[in-house]
Amino acid sequence: MGNQKLFKGSLQTIILKLLETNDKMYGYEITQHVKALTNGELKITEGALYPALHKLEADGLLDVEVAKVGNRLRKYYKLTEIGSKETANKLAEMQEFLKTMQHLVNPKFSSE
Amino acid sequence: MKLTTLQIEDLFKFTRKHFVYHYDVQSELVDHLANDIEEIWKETPQLSFQDARDTSFKKFGIFGFMDVIEAKQKQMNKGYRSILWRFFREWFTMPKMMTTLTVFLSLYLILKIQYSEYFLLGALFLILAVDLIKQTKARKTQKKKEQKQEKVFLLEAMIGNTRQGFATSGFFQLFNFLISVVDNVEFSNLPAHWLLLTSFSTTALLILFYVTAYLIPQKAEELLEETYPEYKLVKNL
Repeated sequence: MGNQKLFKGSLQTIILKLLETNDKMYGYEITQHVKALTNGELKITEGALYPALHKLEADGLLDVEVAKVGNRLRKYYKLTEIGSKETANKLAEMQEFLKTMQHLVNPKFSSE
Repeated sequence: MKLTTLQIEDLFKFTRKHFVYHYDVQSELVDHLANDIEEIWKETPQLSFQDARDTSFKKFGIFGFMDVIEAKQKQMNKGYRSILWRFFREWFTMPKMMTTLTVFLSLYLILKIQYSEYFLLGALFLILAVDLIKQTKARKTQKKKEQKQEKVFLLEAMIGNTRQGFATSGFFQLFNFLISVVDNVEFSNLPAHWLLLTSFSTTALLILFYVTAYLIPQKAEELLEETYPEYKLVKNL
């Protein structure tokens, strides 16, 4: 579980990337998707997911849609136009970060 | 196994018990808990509804729903500020700009009259008194809604309650300031730039007050529909 700390700073990027591939998703679906994609390695905690979603929504990167599913309401999130642009930026930033980390933790591997 | 309508209602009560008072925040959490409970039941179907619910709630961590509530509040503060700015700005563009200018110039001319500080003090006192009565009434209505457990959205509560933080506190500051200077300073003797500054800030404060106390509450339905895609759906349930 120690590696959860490493993931924490990337939560927004993960959400944006997922929404880029899946069009629209609801909160619980996001947690399950991440769990499945990482074989349970990464678990997004509920207490972190919704604040992140609400922040992205407040920043205008996400838009919401609500549908009645069975006996309850479901809130779907999807990328806005600004959100799509920001996703590209965040992903580029993430690639850059991964490269830098590679240099730091594995100098031999990165020098080839 | 799917959750029954009664169990969904229980989840709404559960969120309320854990300090989530607004319907928009509640409904998202209820859907989350419901999905998780259904998932838990797939693995351990013998677990009771209450136990599955508590297991799911524990995943939110020791602060429970607090982080979610806080983030939602921050998001809505931002939303409210942008609505406020949208309405406020209108008074500095035509045609409303004419009204703003008239108020501004009238204030300036009044301030030039002898003993104008007493006039300003009296006017402020009147506005504050009327507003206090209005707010007390609004709070009573809000309480009744809460007691009846009506669905109150976060922005809806903010339109009714938060406004006192803005304009009224500004008026109070001005009121206090006037009381402290009224014995020593005569406005009519002050240089023109001070009078212009005082007229301008009072005009801005008056607009802010009018927008927060009258315009935004008047347009509440429209604003709520714009903010919440589910608003109409929920009110018709």
